[in-house]
Amino acid sequence: MSTARRAIAMHHSPFHPHHGHSKALCVKVLRRLSAYLDDELTVGICKEIRKHLGACPNCEEFIASLRQAVSLCRHIDPAPLSPAFKVRLRIQILKAAGRG
Amino acid sequence: MKSRGQGHGGDTHSAAGSTNDVEAFDRLYREHVDRIYRFAQRMCGQADDAKDVVQDTFLNAYRGLKNFRGDAQVSTWLYTIASRASIRMRRKRKGEPERELSLEEFIPTSEGEFRLQIPTDGLTPQEALENKELSRALHQAILKLPKKYRLVLVLRDMEGLTAKEVGSIMGLNERAVKSRLHRARLFVRRELSARGIAGRHPAAQTTGSS
Repeated sequence: MSTARRAIAMHHSPFHPHHGHSKALCVKVLRRLSAYLDDELTVGICKEIRKHLGACPNCEEFIASLRQAVSLCRHIDPAPLSPAFKVRLRIQILKAAGRG
Repeated sequence: MKSRGQGHGGDTHSAAGSTNDVEAFDRLYREHVDRIYRFAQRMCGQADDAKDVVQDTFLNAYRGLKNFRGDAQVSTWLYTIASRASIRMRRKRKGEPERELSLEEFIPTSEGEFRLQIPTDGLTPQEALENKELSRALHQAILKLPKKYRLVLVLRDMEGLTAKEVGSIMGLNERAVKSRLHRARLFVRRELSARGIAGRHPAAQTTGSS
């Protein structure tokens, strides 16, 4: 579908289930996407979800962006503490423990 | 115990407890301080707050070391202490209200919402995070999460713990952990996509037709 045609279609229908299935099926899949990404579902349910994703570009893009979000989270790498600060902090903790 | 001079802990050892206590603490500190600092930064977003959390965590760990029976992994025990410390920290700094995230708020109402994109432009996650705007947006999205959702996301997706471990840290069953994790991920996805970062990057605009 061209951009213009899609815009017209969306204008007429805020939600446009044009892939031969109802929104309810998409919602059912969306509820399980984290479990799907984490490989926690049975083979049968995975197969069903893959089948839906293959037929529904909306859900396929949804899961792609969810996968990206998870992957970005996994790759945040905060700066480490400096060795000098670790030494200082250890001393502070032991001092505080002594007072406590 | 040898004195190291004024203000450098020479008398701290004797004041803090026996040599064995300090040796046990030192081992714990050496092996886990980097991990706990990384966790604290992910939870707090600011280095100063994270340092306070580390200090709080290891002070409590020192005090609790004698009673630690080893029926949990040391790292899980420390994460539990650090989680409480970071939640206390956030409460002190912000006082933000806790809110529940409902699954319904993440169900797209339009095709556009389904098709939200995160502007990684085909880069690896490491490369994409070099983009300061994306990296900042991701940090903000995580910090915007209500803390009980943030804690699950940080422990599970960032620290790489299992749902069972996260459950034992938070006092939740696995089902509740997974449910919170899903909502937290959906929240981050929406926050990242909804910021319109893509529109400001020329590479991200050349979609679809190649």
